[in-house]
Parts: sequence; C-alpha cells; structure tokens
Amino acid sequence: MIDIVGILTANVLCVVLITLGGMLISWSVHFVPVGGAPAAMAQATGIGTGTVQLAAGAGLTGLVTAGAMMNMTDSMALVVASGAVGAMIMIGVTMIVGTWVYVYGVGVPPASAKVDYDPITKDRQDIYVSQGTEGHGLPTVSFVSGIIGGALGGLGGALIYYSLMSVSTGLTATNLVGLASIFAVGIFFVNAVIPSYNIGGTIEGFHDPKFKKWPKAVQASFVATLLCALASVLTIGGL
Amino acid sequence: MEPLIGMGVLALMGAAATVAGASEDLESDVGSQSNPNSQVQLAPQMMYPHRIYNKAISGEPPSNALMCAIGGAVTSVLMTAFSMSILFAISIGALVAAVVHGSYCVTAYMGRTASQKRYKQPIYLDIIRSHVPVMIGYSFITTFCIIAIAYMMTAILDHPFPLTLLAFIWGITIGAIGSSTGDVHYGAEREFQNVEFGSGLNAANSGNIVRRAESGLRNGIDNSWFCAKFGGPVTGIAFGMTVFLSGWVTTVFDASISTAVGWMSVVAGVGIILLLILWNRRIEVSARNAYGPYKEEDDEEVAA
Repeated sequence: MIDIVGILTANVLCVVLITLGGMLISWSVHFVPVGGAPAAMAQATGIGTGTVQLAAGAGLTGLVTAGAMMNMTDSMALVVASGAVGAMIMIGVTMIVGTWVYVYGVGVPPASAKVDYDPITKDRQDIYVSQGTEGHGLPTVSFVSGIIGGALGGLGGALIYYSLMSVSTGLTATNLVGLASIFAVGIFFVNAVIPSYNIGGTIEGFHDPKFKKWPKAVQASFVATLLCALASVLTIGGL
Repeated sequence: MEPLIGMGVLALMGAAATVAGASEDLESDVGSQSNPNSQVQLAPQMMYPHRIYNKAISGEPPSNALMCAIGGAVTSVLMTAFSMSILFAISIGALVAAVVHGSYCVTAYMGRTASQKRYKQPIYLDIIRSHVPVMIGYSFITTFCIIAIAYMMTAILDHPFPLTLLAFIWGITIGAIGSSTGDVHYGAEREFQNVEFGSGLNAANSGNIVRRAESGLRNGIDNSWFCAKFGGPVTGIAFGMTVFLSGWVTTVFDASISTAVGWMSVVAGVGIILLLILWNRRIEVSARNAYGPYKEEDDEEVAA
C-alpha cells in the first residue's frame, strides 16, 4: 500500500503547479482563432480546424521543445519559456500559411465579422466580409490573439511536464520521462476539450464576445486538473 | 554534439517534414477527410449525388496520430526486440500503419455512403478499388517521414521522449497543420470552383459542390491533382517550418552551454514570431488593396 498522504505532502507544490498549468491551457484555448468547418470553406474568420485539435497541436509542439530544453538545463523558467516559444512557432507558422491559402488560393482578404474595426490596426472590417459569410482569413487581431493563445498553452503544457518530472519517485529516468510526458499529453487534452463547450465551434480571438465566457471554463478546468494532478502525482510518486 | 551535425540533422528533419506535410494533405484530399468533408457529406442530401470519396475517419490530428503511433510502436519493437536495422524497422512500421489506415478508409466510406441510401447516393466499388491504394500510399509516406523524424530526434538529438510518443505528437501536429492550411484550398476553392474566384463562398451554396471533372465525373484523385499544385506543398512548407524552426532555436542556442545562451533561444523564437506577425500584416494590407471591399463604404456607414 502506498503512502498517499506522505506522497501528497511531499509533492504539494507539484499538484499546485499542474493545476495552474491546466487552467492556463484552458484559458489559452479561448485566444486561438478557430472557425471549424465553416472556416475551411472560408465562411468564418479563423483557422479552418477544430478548437481542440489546433490547441493540442500547438501545445504538444511546445511540449516537445520543453522536453528538449529540460534535457539541457534545470532552469524551470527556461523550460517553461521554451514550451511557450515552441507552441507560438507552430501556431504562427500555421496561421501565416493559412493566410497564404486564403489570400492566394481562395482569393479573399482577411476580415472579421465580429467587429467593425480591427482593435489593433483600426482597419475597417465589415465591408471586406463577403456576402453570406461570417468573415474569413486571419486579420491582425486574430493573428496576435492566436500567438498569445499558443504562448499560454505551451506555457501550461511545459509547466505540467516540468512539475511531473519534479515529483520525488523511485522510477528510473527513462521511465519517468515516459510516464510524465504521457500524463502531460493527457492533461493537455482534458483542458483543451473543456473550453470547446464555451467556444461552440468558432471564435475569432480575444475581441470575440464569446471570449468573455472564459472564467467558467477555467473553473471547470481547475476541478478537472486537480483530479488529474492528484492521480498523476500519486502514480508517479508511488512507483 | 557538434553544432554542424545538429544543423545537418535538423535540415534533414525539415526536409522529411516537408514531404510528410505534403503527402498528409494530399491523402486527406483524395479521401476527403477533415472539415471540407462536411460538404461532400451534405451534397447528396441537397440532391447532388457524386463520385467523390467520402471518408472522415475522425479529425485529421487523431487519425494521423493513430497512424504514426502504430508505426512508431512497431518500429520500436522491431528495433529493440528483433534488433532490426532502422531503415527496415521504419519501413515495416509505416507499412503496418498504412494498411491499418487503409482498412479504416474502406469502413468509413462504406458506412458513410451506405447511410445515404435514402438520398440515392450509390456506393461505387471502383472508387474504393482506385482510391484506397492511393491513400495507403500517401499515408505510408507520411508515417515513414514522421517516424524518421522521431528516430532522428531520439537517436541523434538526444530528445528524452520515447520514439512512439514523439511520433504520436508529430502526428497530432501534422494533422492540425494539414487541416488548417491545405484543406482550406480543397474546401474553399476546389469544391466550389463553380463560383467566381475571390467572390467569397455564400453559405447558401452549401452542398452544391462541383461534381464534373476536367474530363468525366470528378473523383478524389482529381481533387488531389488540383490540390497538389498549391494546398499540398504549402502544408508541407508549414510542417517543415514548424519542425525546423522549433528545433533550430534550441539547437543553435544550446542551453547546455549556459543558461544565458538558453535564453537567447527564447529571444530568437520570439523574434521569429514578430516577423510572422509583420508578414501576416503585409499580406493582409496587400490583399485588401488588391481585392478591395465587397460593399460600398458609404452604404455601410449609413447602416452603421
């Protein structure tokens, strides 16, 4: 029988950081401009894929970068920052190539249907929205919002991975990496799914009215990630 | 590790990723996977039966992650338990994954199309025979390249994650990129070549996809022929850039030398991001100038 109370008291900081990481991921997903199936037909502003899929793609790329960095340094700040950078690169590259396709392949200018003027560039948006659509492409405000989302998601994922790797355990280094990385991926997915109920398929970024709903998702993520954190820390700590 | 070897491996990984990205997107175009499939699925219900392959096994990221994880697991087992050479291990791993994918392709087409019997949509057996080998071929190339990337990361760049997990993660990422970039070219342009280029796609056109090809009736292979000119290659560039740039910042600025050098990698990454934001802004401005507004400005100001 493992010493549940002992493991949890020894690793209470890890549980707190994992939970914080999960909440960060949940918040980050609201920033990512996704348009789902309508955006794939250039009928909605944002990237033409699902919320969970894009957030997971970006966050897991961040996790790969954070894992590489953790092999080289012990600095927590550096590992977490590398996670954010990896995720930002993935989402930034995806969005710029998405812009190529919308502009050169489909022939529509980036335009938001949720605001009349881009909050960052102050450009008029509504007259550039083609008839019968809810906007298309990635105007500057959505692009910047996506980058912020990628950064927060990568940060959260890296924080979870770093915390799981810091749990005191009897595992060998290889087994610990395997277990910690799989738990990090799992916790990432849990928190990428929860906000999609708020988003309901499409969101343009932080200027979208749906963005205001984020506190509910973050609260739900707090509960879900806390349970995940307890399970993962007990598993790794008890082995 | 020698910085030059690191850069060489990174370049090879970038090249493999570019090939993988292109083949991933073309595979999804042949089979009509991911979001544009909603129109292929909808068309018979709007009285437009067609000969386009209709499969959406799942979202592209989980589907590719499954393929790559199967391939990665088989490769790992063959390498460790059977001491097989890496080239054969990756080939056999990718082959197993591609065949599993092929079986999903068949069941997805059969199931989806059979459910549309009431809309008079036939199941074409010749479409299955001609399209499934193409999809198996593309998915073999994708899986082969991804496992090769994962192997190079673990064996040469000393990445701590296990090979199978890396293959899984890159599978998720390639699917996310493919469905965000190349699929838009298929969904917004190829499926709706019957509306004027650049006019936008009115939601009222939903389901009215182009069903006649350059010659005969259009099928999935015709779609991949078209998308191979733009959507596929740009997906490849996107995934290649992601793999290359995210590895480049940590390889060039090696944090094992000192923490300060590690922080330079973060600065370099942020610099790349700023360049991308500016680039997007330039394209946005040039597109607005080139295409112009859809509505008269005065009308909207009165309405506003």
